Amino acid sequence: MRMNLVLELLDVPGQLVDALEPIGRLGANIVAVIHQRDVKTEQGTVPVQITIEGDKDTLNHVLSALEDENICIIAVDGVLRKERIMSILIGNIVDQDVKSTVDMLNALDGVNVADFNLKMSDYPKNSAARILIEAESGKRKEVLKKIKEVGKSKEFLVINEV
Amino acid sequence: MKIFIMGFGAVGKGVVKVFSIKGNNLKQKYGLDFEIVAVTDTSGTALCDKGLDPDLLLNTKEKTGRVCDYPEYGIPGLSSPEALSKVEYDCLVEVTPTNIEDGEPAKTHMLKAMSDKKDVVTSNKGPLALCFKELVGTAKNNNVQFKFEASVGGAMPIINFAHENLSGCDIESIFGILNGTTNYILSRMAKEGSSYEQTLKEAQEMGIAETDPTQDVEGTDAACKIVILANSIMNMDVSLGDVEINGISKITPESIFLAKKEGYLIKLIAEASLDTLEVSPRLVKEGSPLSVEGTMNVATLKTDLAEDITVVGKGAGSVETASAILSDLISIWKSKK
Repeated sequence: MRMNLVLELLDVPGQLVDALEPIGRLGANIVAVIHQRDVKTEQGTVPVQITIEGDKDTLNHVLSALEDENICIIAVDGVLRKERIMSILIGNIVDQDVKSTVDMLNALDGVNVADFNLKMSDYPKNSAARILIEAESGKRKEVLKKIKEVGKSKEFLVINEV
Repeated sequence: MKIFIMGFGAVGKGVVKVFSIKGNNLKQKYGLDFEIVAVTDTSGTALCDKGLDPDLLLNTKEKTGRVCDYPEYGIPGLSSPEALSKVEYDCLVEVTPTNIEDGEPAKTHMLKAMSDKKDVVTSNKGPLALCFKELVGTAKNNNVQFKFEASVGGAMPIINFAHENLSGCDIESIFGILNGTTNYILSRMAKEGSSYEQTLKEAQEMGIAETDPTQDVEGTDAACKIVILANSIMNMDVSLGDVEINGISKITPESIFLAKKEGYLIKLIAEASLDTLEVSPRLVKEGSPLSVEGTMNVATLKTDLAEDITVVGKGAGSVETASAILSDLISIWKSKK
């Protein structure tokens, strides 16, 4: 059987080779690799589409091996594995401990803060932060609820996506 | 069809104006003849069984500010409830200023009309957001019609649209921009990079925001409207107190800047869905159906059969809001033909 993967790799030398290594090692065939370095995400990573072939067990082993090496799998056979959730906070972001804000979100299983953008205002109490969260698919509701909770506890105005 | 208009402010004047503009047209098109038999304001009442002249009503109000100065048929000091029992009418058009504390006195007037077996059309959000069940129940028990399209989204068709055009669908959620003032302020802030305070002031100078903008900017107005939608088209049983409300007064240019950099806008969104009833600033993708600009209103209904359906329209304005009242009146008249 065949499996279509979309991976997201850092744009540095050697990344693609590292991602392909477990495929060959575990006995799957690579059918196609589409790798366009000039198409980048907002975070500067490069999406790579890979089609591999093998029996079911082999393909599953490949998936786990990629995960073990912390290679980001965006989609498997067109189904998103990760979703991105963006939120903006307004409030006394810095004094309310940026690290603990991020930690509280990272504490959720399968969720991590991928980007944190802070914009100070003339009044520090009204600073704004944009958080980009990557979460396993299906976790959106849980994450949005958590952001609201964090916002409430730190008196931030939370602006979630619709 | 004899009409009793209670309230002669912006919306009341719009209704009379629409009768003046459309009177002949409605007669030709439907054979429908509206007669205004009473108009009340705080000064008193103009009242005539044989019908008042729309243009003369508008001129009188324009000149003296008091409807009771209407030649011959004006009665100074005759209050709205007294007037209700002084004249024969078919339908009460209740368009007095809204009261979100207890919905009075509009609520009592509407209940009285219903128990007198009169149909009621209103644009008044307060009573609907506070005592929806009681009003709808009383109308049902008295076998009269109660319509309130103008209470949400002004000219934007949504309530009758959901009930009639989407009658076969279940509405699973509603997301909308239901307040034009805040949408104007946020649109300007996004365009100009200006501060909230500065933009609010500009909106007040243009007459878009009121001198006391609290109900708009703190989200109460939008909250009333989402309650009306949740009750009337999602069959929920909720009231204003059930809405989680956050307004736009804390929105900063910095936050709008951060959103825009990722292709998002900040909009005051009212949401009614299975487990959520809230009004709050939300991120909306630029170019998506909800990203309408200026004072426009918009609502997306998520349905089981037809997926997403979005309506857009002018959320305020005298004649615009009156257009929704007129459509309610015509639909009542048609149903009795």
